Amino acid sequence: MTTLESGSATRPAVLRNRTRNVVRLQFVNTQTFLWVPALVLGGAWVLTMLIYWILQNAGVTGVKTGGGSQAPLWYFLVVGIQAMTMTFPFSQAMSLTRREFYVGSLAAAAVSGLGMSLVFVLLGLVERATEGYGMNGYFAYLDWLWEGGPLAAGLTYFVLTMLFFIVGFWSATIYKRYGTAVLTTVLIGIGLALVGVVALVTWQQAWPAVGQWVLDTGSLGLTLWAIAVCVLLAAGSYLTLRRMPA
Amino acid sequence: MDSVIEVRNLTKRYKDVLALDDVGFDIRKDTIYGFLGRNGAGKTTAMSILTAQNLPSSGQVRVFGEDPYENARVLSRMCFVRESQKYPDDATSRHALASARLFFPRWDQELADDLVEEFQLPLKRTIKKLSRGQLSAVGVIIGLASRAEITFFDEPYLGLDAVARQIFYDRLLTDYAEHPRTVVLSSHLIDEVSNLIERVLVIDGGRIIMDESTEDARALATNVVGDAATVERALHGREVIHRESLGRVASVTFLGRLDAAERDALASAGIDLAPVSLQQLIVRLTQQRTPGRDAFAAAAQEGSLR
Amino acid sequence: MIEEGKPLFVQIAEQVGDSIVDGSIAEEAQAPSTNELAAFYRINPATAAKGVNMLVDKGVLYKRRGIGMFVAAGARDLLLRERRNDFALRYVQPLLAEARRIGLEPDDVVSLIRAGAEPATP
Repeated sequence: MTTLESGSATRPAVLRNRTRNVVRLQFVNTQTFLWVPALVLGGAWVLTMLIYWILQNAGVTGVKTGGGSQAPLWYFLVVGIQAMTMTFPFSQAMSLTRREFYVGSLAAAAVSGLGMSLVFVLLGLVERATEGYGMNGYFAYLDWLWEGGPLAAGLTYFVLTMLFFIVGFWSATIYKRYGTAVLTTVLIGIGLALVGVVALVTWQQAWPAVGQWVLDTGSLGLTLWAIAVCVLLAAGSYLTLRRMPA
Repeated sequence: MDSVIEVRNLTKRYKDVLALDDVGFDIRKDTIYGFLGRNGAGKTTAMSILTAQNLPSSGQVRVFGEDPYENARVLSRMCFVRESQKYPDDATSRHALASARLFFPRWDQELADDLVEEFQLPLKRTIKKLSRGQLSAVGVIIGLASRAEITFFDEPYLGLDAVARQIFYDRLLTDYAEHPRTVVLSSHLIDEVSNLIERVLVIDGGRIIMDESTEDARALATNVVGDAATVERALHGREVIHRESLGRVASVTFLGRLDAAERDALASAGIDLAPVSLQQLIVRLTQQRTPGRDAFAAAAQEGSLR
Repeated sequence: MIEEGKPLFVQIAEQVGDSIVDGSIAEEAQAPSTNELAAFYRINPATAAKGVNMLVDKGVLYKRRGIGMFVAAGARDLLLRERRNDFALRYVQPLLAEARRIGLEPDDVVSLIRAGAEPATP
């Protein structure tokens, strides 16, 4: 049986490469994973620079920071949604398991997120060296983020991209599997839970303690917490996908 | 016989629909199957479960002796070409074929290139912008060139013209002859595929109602035409599956064959015997639905008449 | 070329038989392979194989290992004899049945055949 022989000879290697090839499959959507994030990042940067330049010319010489660098993070929600909705049905046609698809998609997000974080760190380094492009305006170099150094800042940024990606991916999975009503219910549930936490903290008059905890933990500490949240969400997302029909 | 797929007591229930109702069948190795039945009979559901794209409500599925669910070892040896396959938004035909090359271990690029040329598939166009026929061609090329040990084609020809369909049939046959494998072909164009398939699996209302070699299936029924009274007398006690008449002439299809003596008797009584094509047979068999199942369709029809 | 009613593999065997009877495939020459037949008649190779096997069982074809199917010596005579035997059943009986239906006597049929066999007069 020649087919059997050639089959068993190639199979292990073939199986090993499948998850890695999912990354290539996801990157077919260069728009989603490369160009649009780059555009969002570039656009946010240009806009921020323009505003700083206007402020600078208007005589505002103090330290200027803005939320522009958040935009690409938010965009990773979209990346997560599209990685799921656009590619999952095709991944099934490629005879992939849901696990292979999921792990490969996370890896693809990680590649994109790492690239984003790298650009972010490089910008921050430039900003630190040029004192905010000579106008005291900062896009990527935010004091509290960089207190642990460029690596820590990069890690925070990377973890946030993954967090947003996983949330987007999970939401899309819930939507595709159960429909709008269930997704909306889940989101309202999460909203209620958050309001509940806020209420609890307020009633206990614990805000100072919470503030102190945040300060004590620092951005790197918070990042580690975020990693824990990522792992939890990723597990939940996988469990939802695991029995998802194509 | 070597079975590559074994299905036992398979049931799939959607909210209020029983798509598969305690189904059991085997699929033999290196055989081309026609998987036939009406829309909504359960064909796509069955194929989705066999390829682990969907999950059964209950029952067992074994492919190459294993459960296919989340089983890369088994899945990598199968290919399921869906009628309504979705592709990534930005993907071009070239991307789709390049992806398939990554995931199907027995992929034949030369065959894929040939087929692209024969179907005149524009490689650089995004799949979103392809015509319905070109979209089908992408699926057909993936299904043929993947050379998976089990390939499912679910109505693969939508939008393909007669010439393109002939290309598909011819290529399927020649490639199958050189590289025998199991093919499960679901189709409404039964006449077109009846000579290609070695076995017929007919599903109706979520149940398998026929699992035969094509040759035996062809011999299942006989059609007689002649004077209505004579025909009725001659066929007394036979299982009639279809009856129509024009004046005093009746055309009756019944299950079973006639022996030589019966044939002679009918012939001398002036009654003509006609073979029943596979398509006719399956149309006749699947049109006899239980009233309950058809209640909805009947109600809908009544509604439109009022 | 392919008709309903008669099993497909029988029709394939008859088609190959025709080629042998009319001499287009000579004795001891190679017969078309199963795959060639399948591709030409657009039928499942298993069906074509069944037709070929039918001819092998009859002694019309024989297999040379690793090369393919060949027409046996004496195959043409064998087929001719068989077809002449079948002639009455396949052609004469239906002819007479139709004749009876439309009120022709066997003698009328015979003279019609005679007339039909004569070369057409200009």
